[in-house]
Amino acid sequence: MTAVSVSLERRQSRIGRVVGGLRAYPMLVAGLALIGLVLLVSAVGPLFVPREGVEVGSAPPDQRPSREYLLGTDTVGRQILAIIVYGTPLTLQIGLIAGAIGLGIGMLFGFVAGYYGGTVDHLFRGAADVFLTVPGLLILVVIATTFKGAVSVMTQALVVSALAWMYPTRTIRSQVLSMRERGYVQLAKLSGMSGPEIIVKELIPNLLPYLAASFVSAVSAAILASIGLEALGLGPQNEPTLGMTIYWSLYYTSVLRNLWWWWSPPIVMIVIIFVGLFLISAGLDQVANPRLRRAV
Amino acid sequence: MNDVSPRLGQPRAAEITRQDEEAGVMLQVRDLRVSYLTSRGAVQAVNGVSFTLRRGEALGLVGESGSGKSTIALALMRLIKPPGVIEGGQVFLDGRDILALPDEEMRRLRLAEIALITQGAMNSLNPVMRIRDQIIDAWREHGEVVERGEAEERVRDLLRWVGLRPEVARMYPHELSGGMKQRAVIAIAISLRPKVIIADEPTSALDVVVQRQIMQTLRRIQRDLGAAVILIGHDMGLMAQFVDRLGVMYAGKLVEVSPIREIFREPLHPYGELLIASLPSLARKAEFQGIPGLPPSLLDPPPGCPFHPRCPHVMERCRVEVPVLELKRPHRWVACHLYQVEEGSA
Amino acid sequence: MTPLLEARGVTKVYGGGLFQRDRTVALDNLSLRIEAAPPTIIAVVGESGSGKTTLARLLLGLTVPTSGAILYQGTDLRRLSRREWRRFRRDVQAIFQDPYEVYNPFYKVDHVLLTPLKKFGLVHSDREARERIVEALEAVGLRPDETLGRYPHQLSGGQRQRVMVARALLIRPRLIIADEPVSMVDASLRATILESLRALTRDFGVSLVYITHDLITAYQISDNVVVLYRGAVAEAGHVEPVVQEPQHPYTRLLIGSIPLPDPERVWSEEQEPSEIGRLADAAQGCRFANRCPYAMEMCLGTSPPLYQTEQYRVVACYLYRENPVLVSEHLDDAFAPPSTVGPAVAAGGAVDEPLSGE
Repeated sequence: MTAVSVSLERRQSRIGRVVGGLRAYPMLVAGLALIGLVLLVSAVGPLFVPREGVEVGSAPPDQRPSREYLLGTDTVGRQILAIIVYGTPLTLQIGLIAGAIGLGIGMLFGFVAGYYGGTVDHLFRGAADVFLTVPGLLILVVIATTFKGAVSVMTQALVVSALAWMYPTRTIRSQVLSMRERGYVQLAKLSGMSGPEIIVKELIPNLLPYLAASFVSAVSAAILASIGLEALGLGPQNEPTLGMTIYWSLYYTSVLRNLWWWWSPPIVMIVIIFVGLFLISAGLDQVANPRLRRAV
Repeated sequence: MNDVSPRLGQPRAAEITRQDEEAGVMLQVRDLRVSYLTSRGAVQAVNGVSFTLRRGEALGLVGESGSGKSTIALALMRLIKPPGVIEGGQVFLDGRDILALPDEEMRRLRLAEIALITQGAMNSLNPVMRIRDQIIDAWREHGEVVERGEAEERVRDLLRWVGLRPEVARMYPHELSGGMKQRAVIAIAISLRPKVIIADEPTSALDVVVQRQIMQTLRRIQRDLGAAVILIGHDMGLMAQFVDRLGVMYAGKLVEVSPIREIFREPLHPYGELLIASLPSLARKAEFQGIPGLPPSLLDPPPGCPFHPRCPHVMERCRVEVPVLELKRPHRWVACHLYQVEEGSA
Repeated sequence: MTPLLEARGVTKVYGGGLFQRDRTVALDNLSLRIEAAPPTIIAVVGESGSGKTTLARLLLGLTVPTSGAILYQGTDLRRLSRREWRRFRRDVQAIFQDPYEVYNPFYKVDHVLLTPLKKFGLVHSDREARERIVEALEAVGLRPDETLGRYPHQLSGGQRQRVMVARALLIRPRLIIADEPVSMVDASLRATILESLRALTRDFGVSLVYITHDLITAYQISDNVVVLYRGAVAEAGHVEPVVQEPQHPYTRLLIGSIPLPDPERVWSEEQEPSEIGRLADAAQGCRFANRCPYAMEMCLGTSPPLYQTEQYRVVACYLYRENPVLVSEHLDDAFAPPSTVGPAVAAGGAVDEPLSGE
């Protein structure tokens, strides 16, 4: 073998290492920047934008963007800027909660099914497969319509999470299947480690970038699902989430009436969020799979 | 138990003298240098290697991993890719310096004049193509126009030549056993009757029994083609069975080149001596003997002779002065300060 | 004396559901007892497909036999209590072939040394752990300051494998199953690792099952050898006669194919299978028949039993049918006691062909 035996020593300064690491993953950095921007708006915005702006009738309706109302107002007198500032974090919240639940269940099912195999594998995998084939939006609509009345952000998150666990289950399971026969797993068995110990101590650490990427995908899918539901009107009606804003803008025919300042900011925000999440996910893929890395 | 009959069809050491003048020089490597550029600096994988290969000869290159032997194989085929780079030297294939050729020319030479067989046929065989299509592909790439019917027949002949049944033509690589795959690789490599065949650890993934069969096939093919073979590996036993001359590589340099019988009878270079002494035997039980120390770092090689930190005969001179590969005895080249050039060697 | 580990009529079959064609017999009815004392080294030699890795996995309890059983101190592995299982894990350890795969890239190499110490309760403090680790590393010729605290990719293959031997030393098992421990290690480091394995037996009383395809190192290190071919035992016994004067046609082929590092002694020509041999069906009869130059009618019927041709040798070949059959089927009944010097007493020879010295 032509392997040149050069030992790779870790760089001395930690900052140097981080910067060096970041340079190798441009997509990850770009994605984090975009999401960082979104978080900045959500965190800093409320300091400058009063909350009353999201209330109905807080401002004259149908105003074009001006110096007083930076993003204009909608037909019922809500200020778009305030909606964006206070609504974005709600959308993110839904995504994060649903994503976390989805990943949590996915990890439980996926690791157990992949590591132990047998009947337990058939059970969890079968469940995931069944749920994967049922049209997702249909399930969501059915669940959402049973929750009559005002839905809270938390409930919305729970509804969406019903769909967020299948894909992580399958992908984690297949990762575990390939790792199960690895030498270090066999050695861990011989060292007296039990099944759960092996999963937690040997398998999960090696899957961290992969799990992170799965989480980001789950969040992304959750946000998409919730926006989809909300745009149909099935969401937290009293909250100014991005999806609900789109719903209301459609309800009041803002497109025909050329109230572009109403429907475009939420869309721009959604695009930024998705692109950001996608880049992070692709970047994490590179971390997990060194072959995709750009040569340093 | 084992046959003591001499190897069939191979010239003895004494006859090589006559062959010098008769047989032509097929390959002449002069001062080849290849390095890999890593984030920590340049690694000299091949550090000034020179040797000749005559028509019909089998030359072995033995060394441990990191000695540079596989890099030489890639360099001779001009398959070195970044971060590797051929820094210098000349490689004359039948008179032409192939390192100086334009890419187009080199592509035509590959397979037609010089071919490479590597270990792990997985790297050489296309998993989604049938064997016969891969062979025909190779022909087409080199401008050989083959009619449909004629092609089938030529493929069958080729397969028979390497010891494969004609049915193999229709098969995919995954349907073949390890030994059969390696024969298929050999078939593709010799399909255009090259003058030089480089075999880089061709049997390391194979069973001892299959290995023997493959090497015997290779020898037969070599004789039929009149080609020169460079066998690269780390198995001294395999070298003893197959090659005429052996080159010992250490830290990117050739430290000894000698006829195979002579090097086993009396290894000159201390590394070769230790290497042979460390070979466990089937004759009687003994303690395992290794070579003390560790292979050198190619990033920061020791000054002078690269072997001096581990050499049992190290002298002061060895620590400062790099020994040159010279003809110190008749037909024997050694890079070691222990030896002076003898009378009548040049 | 209950043997430490025993394989009793162990068979392992892969595949073979509805479709008969997929059925592979990886190991066929193998019985072997390994005693804890006196410490001994048994070599299991075979090519790929011989079943040697399957045997290793069965002995380590990493897989279950299709029929037959693996017994630890007389109890079937499948019936061990949790405490007994823990003792089994402590008594029987392994060194695997691939020094790259056995390390979790996430952890430093210290991880593989600390884990068993903790899990088996071998130390009572961090300091004690550190002391024992340093001791073990030095015993295998490694420098602790150059080894500990490093990640696996920072060490060479040979160093990693030596750490594995050190790990075995730490645990102080009674038996080590070493599956091709040096085949992926550089030639110059093999000697050191093999010597340290031999030292484990000699100085620490650990028995060793050395699994390999390399007959030469098997000969050097072991007292007794088992030669496997396609899941069945071809020949077994004291390593000296088996290697110097092999009787089974496969063993002869194997030894004849070894490239000896001696340009004067070349490979023997492989003999073609006999007329009858060519008709052999791999599914029944002697597995080697279709390659055997001495194949006869009876070889196509049932597989030959183990004929005891000498006190310390058994051969599964009808050429030796005049010899008594090994009734117990336990291979170790034909093993020479460890450190037996000198050739075994010859008790019988071949029937049809003079097989020695041609």
